Amino acid sequence: MSKIIAIAKKELKSYFSSPIAYIVLIITISVFNIFFFMIIDQNREATLRDIFQIMEFLFIFIVPLLTMKIFSEEKLTGTMEFLMTTPTSTTAIVLGKYLGSLIFFTLIIGLTSSYYFIIELFGRPDRLAMLVGYLGIWIEGALFIAIGMLASSWTKSQIIAAMSSYITLFLLYFSISFIKYFSGTAETLIRYIGTWSHAENFSVGLITTGDLVYYVSGIIICIALTKLSIENRLWR
Amino acid sequence: MLTAKNVTKYFGGFQALKDISFEINKGDIVGFLGQNGAGKTTLMRILTSYLPATSGRVIIAGEDVTKNSLAIRKKIGYLPENPPLYVDMTTRDYLKFAAQIKDVPSKQQHSQIDKVLTECDLKGVQNKTIRFLSKGYKQRVGIAQAIINDPEILILDEPTIGLDPVQIIQVRNLIKNLEYKRTVILSTHILPEIQQIAKRVLIIKAGEIIVDKYLKELFEKQGGQQKVFLRVKGKKDQIERAIKEITNFKQIDINSCDDLHSIKLEIINNVGHYNELTDKISKTNSYILEIKEIESSLEDVFLGLHSTKTD
Repeated sequence: MSKIIAIAKKELKSYFSSPIAYIVLIITISVFNIFFFMIIDQNREATLRDIFQIMEFLFIFIVPLLTMKIFSEEKLTGTMEFLMTTPTSTTAIVLGKYLGSLIFFTLIIGLTSSYYFIIELFGRPDRLAMLVGYLGIWIEGALFIAIGMLASSWTKSQIIAAMSSYITLFLLYFSISFIKYFSGTAETLIRYIGTWSHAENFSVGLITTGDLVYYVSGIIICIALTKLSIENRLWR
Repeated sequence: MLTAKNVTKYFGGFQALKDISFEINKGDIVGFLGQNGAGKTTLMRILTSYLPATSGRVIIAGEDVTKNSLAIRKKIGYLPENPPLYVDMTTRDYLKFAAQIKDVPSKQQHSQIDKVLTECDLKGVQNKTIRFLSKGYKQRVGIAQAIINDPEILILDEPTIGLDPVQIIQVRNLIKNLEYKRTVILSTHILPEIQQIAKRVLIIKAGEIIVDKYLKELFEKQGGQQKVFLRVKGKKDQIERAIKEITNFKQIDINSCDDLHSIKLEIINNVGHYNELTDKISKTNSYILEIKEIESSLEDVFLGLHSTKTD
């Protein structure tokens, strides 16, 4: 466990030693703020439901920028060889890196918590629904990070890693748009794999076992595939 | 301490290592010598369990590196060809991270970091960001991370590559200081490096070990005949005739300038009777201005071996 924390700390520090993290942080929060005030001004409702949907959509663009370097950079600079020859298991390396990125992502979400207090100041929001909404975008982001980390484990190139993440996340997010072309099992499968229906429930304050299983199993599968991908040198 | 048994490695259809076997004893300082692409790095990666062998086994301290790699990695310090550094960290932070993931007990981490900073002469740059260090310093930081957990075996892949002459001397001295405490394996394509640091050499050519010998033994066997250099003032024909009369010496080269001659002799059967040599030359009314033994360099031996194998 101590090694997972050490790697997570290193990962988190590495975000703050690069200008990209600050740029992402500033742009993300600025865009969120603009949308927040626009939506509140237009709807006059004490709810964050619409802003959650905007955040979910924007995370598709933001998360790959955060995850593209997780393993690609280590492979490119040769530090992967260092990590893999220390007495640290691949699982600990993958979990440590995932945890570091998740903490950074949580920080972004944390910075939007001011929206809750602003709404609380001027209205009577459904607090539980808002907390569930936050849990929804957090767990969705956690899945996006796991997907981004998996893409980063495939290549030395951060650009390829980011592009692979974008393609996967776009397919997951927009799959609902193509559902009309399918029927039967394919339709059910696409509906289940797409993120839209699962995120929708959280944004209205609904937690279902099916949605939790979807996100948690998705995260576990991506982490397991990342581990396999890192160890694939064993079969070279 | 370390045994490699019939290690073979394929990358696709390319055979990088061909049935390699050797043993390294505790305290040995072994140099892997070979041209670029000979298979040195692949072999080192297999020894560190970073890469698995296609067939064959590597056993370190009684344990198979592929079956019990985490336990083996605790005993190994490894410096890859390009020092694996997180350049945005300071030297101290990097070594702290290395200590944490290399199982150095948390109570000992501080003192262990101080120890390696001193050993590698890095105290002055401990709070500097690695990105801004010179290549020589970066190499030393790489060595510092390799020894942070006090490993029993230190594996260094081309530790002086890309350094300037001053940095090369500094890194070689650092390695020499480390070798008294542990088994050291280093790879290089630079012959003098092996001669200066290692006691035993494994010459690798196209994935095969063509020589596995202690340096002393190698010099004795291959081109190990000592040579003698003479500078003599006198008549050339008389001096050459005098040398021919001595059975233990064979003239191999002579350069003359008026009555000054620089002569290179080979000692036959490693026994040189210097009294006889000086007496005979003196009797020709010549003056010996200088006489010294010249030892064969590893380069001579390597070239000899290389041509032998090519033949």
